[in-house]
Amino acid sequence: MAENVHGQSCVPRLQISGICKAFGQNVVLKGIDLSVRAGEVLALIGGNGAGKSTLMKIIMGIYTCDRGEIRIDGQVAKLGKPAASLAAGVYLVPQEPLLFPNMTVLENILMGFHEKESELKKRLSQHMQELGFQLNLQRKANTLSIAEQQLVELLRGLMRDARILILDEPTSALTFGEVQALFKVVQDLKRKGISMIYITHRLNEVFEIATDVAIMRDGVITLEGPVENFTKDMLIAGLLPQDADVQQNDRAYEPVRYSELKPVMQVKALTGYGFKDITFDLYPGEILGIAGVVGAGRTELISTIFGRDKTLSGQVILDGKDITGLPTKRVLEEGINFVPEDRHRHGLFRIRSISSNTTSALLNSVKIGRINMNRSQQKRIAKQYADDFRTKIVSLEDLIGSLSGGNQQKVVIARALSTMPKVVILDEPTRGIDAAARSDVYNIIRQLKEAGVAVLMVSSDIEEVVELADRAITVFQGRINGEFSREEITQDVLTSASFGIGQERKVRV
Amino acid sequence: MKSMLKKVFKHWEVFLLVFLVLEFVVFGAANPKFLRPQSILNSIVNYISVCIIALFVTLVMITGGIDIQAPSIIGLTSIVIGVLWSDAGMNIWVAVAIAVCIAALCGALSGFFIAYCGVQPMVVTLGGSFLYSGLALLVSGMSATPAYQGISGFPAKTEAGEFVGFRFLGKGEILGVPTQIAIYIILIALCIWILHYTKYGERLYLVGVNPQAAEYSGINTRAVIMSTYVLSAVSAALAGTLLTANINSAKYNLGSGYTLAIITAVVLGGTLNTGGKGSILGTVLASLIICILRYGLPLCFDVSTQNLDLPVGIILVLVVLGREIAGQHMLSRLFKRRG
Amino acid sequence: MKQIQSLFEARWMSSLIFLILLFLITGIADPAFLSYSNIISCFNTATMYTLLAVGIAFVIMTGEIDVSIGATLGLTAAMTGLIAQRDGSVVVMLLVVMVVGAVIGLVNGLGVAYFGVPSLIFTLGTNSVVRGLVYIMTDGRTVENFGGTIASYGNKTLFAQITVYYAIAVALVAIAHFVLTRTRKGKYFIAVGDNAGGANLVGISVLGTKILAYVLCGLFAGIGGFVFASKYGQVMTVAGNGYEMTAIAACVLGGVSLSGGLGNMVGAAIGAVIMSSISRLLVFIGLPSTYDNTITGVMLIVIVVVDALAQRRSIEMSRRKRLLSRTAENTPEGGVKA
Repeated sequence: MAENVHGQSCVPRLQISGICKAFGQNVVLKGIDLSVRAGEVLALIGGNGAGKSTLMKIIMGIYTCDRGEIRIDGQVAKLGKPAASLAAGVYLVPQEPLLFPNMTVLENILMGFHEKESELKKRLSQHMQELGFQLNLQRKANTLSIAEQQLVELLRGLMRDARILILDEPTSALTFGEVQALFKVVQDLKRKGISMIYITHRLNEVFEIATDVAIMRDGVITLEGPVENFTKDMLIAGLLPQDADVQQNDRAYEPVRYSELKPVMQVKALTGYGFKDITFDLYPGEILGIAGVVGAGRTELISTIFGRDKTLSGQVILDGKDITGLPTKRVLEEGINFVPEDRHRHGLFRIRSISSNTTSALLNSVKIGRINMNRSQQKRIAKQYADDFRTKIVSLEDLIGSLSGGNQQKVVIARALSTMPKVVILDEPTRGIDAAARSDVYNIIRQLKEAGVAVLMVSSDIEEVVELADRAITVFQGRINGEFSREEITQDVLTSASFGIGQERKVRV
Repeated sequence: MKSMLKKVFKHWEVFLLVFLVLEFVVFGAANPKFLRPQSILNSIVNYISVCIIALFVTLVMITGGIDIQAPSIIGLTSIVIGVLWSDAGMNIWVAVAIAVCIAALCGALSGFFIAYCGVQPMVVTLGGSFLYSGLALLVSGMSATPAYQGISGFPAKTEAGEFVGFRFLGKGEILGVPTQIAIYIILIALCIWILHYTKYGERLYLVGVNPQAAEYSGINTRAVIMSTYVLSAVSAALAGTLLTANINSAKYNLGSGYTLAIITAVVLGGTLNTGGKGSILGTVLASLIICILRYGLPLCFDVSTQNLDLPVGIILVLVVLGREIAGQHMLSRLFKRRG
Repeated sequence: MKQIQSLFEARWMSSLIFLILLFLITGIADPAFLSYSNIISCFNTATMYTLLAVGIAFVIMTGEIDVSIGATLGLTAAMTGLIAQRDGSVVVMLLVVMVVGAVIGLVNGLGVAYFGVPSLIFTLGTNSVVRGLVYIMTDGRTVENFGGTIASYGNKTLFAQITVYYAIAVALVAIAHFVLTRTRKGKYFIAVGDNAGGANLVGISVLGTKILAYVLCGLFAGIGGFVFASKYGQVMTVAGNGYEMTAIAACVLGGVSLSGGLGNMVGAAIGAVIMSSISRLLVFIGLPSTYDNTITGVMLIVIVVVDALAQRRSIEMSRRKRLLSRTAENTPEGGVKA
């Protein structure tokens, strides 16, 4: 069924060859070749930072590539801006649809066209009929569910005569029923001869709707071909680095003696928005890794523990004290601190100095003064962390916005440690920072462990979990679906569990 | 070129100071009478309400808010003092204390809606300016004195012509300096201390730069934001008290029309209206620049005293445009248009 | 049925219901209020605020603000008066006020959209400048004694006691409303305020739309100035002072969200009627007109707070629903729902 549904053309609808892209020193794409034919659904899988979104942005004309070419229907396409890509028939349905929330569905779809409205409406109803959509066009966009918003985005694309649709993790926020409805639409579009690139984290979906599959890792395609040539295990193998089996369990430091320890933090059947029935213990001096794919509910879990969202049920106990549902300020005082995933939104005070940033969590303690700011003390603390972490700075008074990502991250970590917490929660601690800074961050985390601090580390970078964690749990669709001791942690098992495979390995507490 | 401009703009206060000195040079050269210290001090006294409130609205704007209700609190304070003293027969200082408390409540109310209900500060304080000026009018209705007349006869002026007690606030002198200016200087020192030397001041900046990150640092951003509106309302009450003592008349509509002047002083002083940046010194210098301009232009260049908005407006427009262009906004915008 | 339902969901509808309720409550207090001429004159007196509110609504919808319209109204009113003193024709007056208003709007638009100065600050500056121009133009004196044709227009009624000016204002509101809701480009204003990034992606010029909004705003303020001069027959140098705040309040009451992207012209016009009727309503309820500002303030604050809380709640609910759906048991719900 995959081979050329319409059979009329051997020229691929979209052909990408030799695409390279680097941001400064950071090479993101290292020569990507891909092709999609009419009526094909190409599933594109890959971990975070594999380069999927960069590639899609190049196809959409948001970025330009350094090398390589894109052909559409055999013609070399010059895509440098979104308008050109739209004209060439490419349309991206983003993960979080970009609708006008206060406008009706109809207005949203027709916005930006230059034809007569009556004509547009006719075309629209034709599209809707063909696909069997039933959507009240007069509803406000902000009353739509995510699934419905995606339908609107799809219609927007179809109205622009898009022949290549890119769906970016369309099912990540959908319920089961909605997913089924979306699949039906994808099948219909496939029959109409529309080509699709379907980005997903869910391997089951690949076998359900894709005709072809490609796996990206570290800026290269590691595996590509018709979906029937592969099994799930083969896909997982493609997601792993080549040297995966070699570098395991060669870590030098002492294993944690769990039998002699009492847990510092206990999470009991915690349920909140985005996660359910989470139970685990955290011991002093251990690094507990939480693995899973984006959207699995890990960030929601830890930010709820940190008092950023409401707890629905369950308990969090820190050193024998119930801290469930406390506000952030109190959680901090009780001895938990946090390094957020989104450094820019939740971590940095861009136009404040490095010392201000380092000590911002100390404002509730007397360490930097009771009423007056003790500036010299503030500087001393900031200086100490900058030296300890080898943060590259000129002056402590420089704005933090002037630092590189890695150094910014070190400052944010310094802030989290400045309150001398018993538990440090790290959310994607090395996202978007260079290799040198990464190894510095790893050293900091190891030092924490040696100092007896309990570290809870959320990471989508499986290698990171393998390298650092004493224990790991995996979260899949808001629930813990695996717990692994240090001996059991391998890239293989963590990746499988993150993608929801191998659930027979039941939670053992 | 770019880096040079950047250096200059890093120290906006330097630019303002140069501007202020230039004013003295130009006005002084045009008319030597300009340089009489007494007149210069008087020019500040005439604008003291704006100067004082601008100090505290700076705090509000550093957290990313805006306060356009403060002027209505001037009138409310004034009339509350008047009615409590003249019609209720209270001690004048008790009346002042009650008026300040009422103002603080007004500020707290608006601050609550802004911080805890997430309504835009502009709208709430717009509503507040209607509400508090309306309340002032109602309070004035409780007085035996007709509203338009204003309650007068506050204590006290000795037979020797010296001002004592309440009126000392408005007309007295401390070591040859008008009391109002002395109080202004104390308030400047207080605000500099609050904003630049206390942990509370540090919180204000952090909340203004990134409220989310402030929350992650355990800062109670809502309480911080609300508190700034209380402070600015109290400052407006103080300004209202001084004004009443100065003109010996309590009226419900004192201070109306100061709204835009206050915001102008703060913005000209270099405070970002998106929050996170600004200084008390900048606001003080900008306030003085405006005072001197309003005093010097009529004296030296025959500009009508009624028409002092124009030069102030022109300076504001030029300054913000210049700052924006220097901040490369223009370049990026041109680039965007081409892309 | 659906249409009726969506009509009631419209934000301007709640403003209208609010206005009717106000009138009815006043009517209960004093049935004399509900006479035809009384109600009509509530509308007639709203003429200037209607013009200002509709003009500024364009700007507010794109997510910006304009506090210079009071001064613009003052300037154009003074110009109208000066031309009338010299026996200029009404056509000249209208042309002048419209051009002057549009030019001030253009300057605002360029400053805000092109140079990127925050709109409150920039229009604060132009407010002072324009107010200064009024003084220069009038030598700081009140412009008066310009009888003749234009003063007589002020209270001329068209039919059924509706003044000519209110009829014109209503016509302009209708046109603006039509343009905004029925034409392709008209929807750009809302789109830009709703989601500037999304607007850019579908090829809408954010810059051009914002500049146009300011030009229209100035244009309406200019016409408002003409009406002012004609109605009062004299123009003081402070004419229009503070009108910008009333116009903004009218927009807020009419359901135009100050964060942009929400609201329409009918709502703004209804808000203007509410704002200008309050003092009259108070008289009939038996409260002295000194309650005017207090009631306005309370009304404004209550409405925006309720609105903000409702919006926040709905956003929070949808976020929570989305997150909960992730952890929902993956059991087939039967059937395909699209």
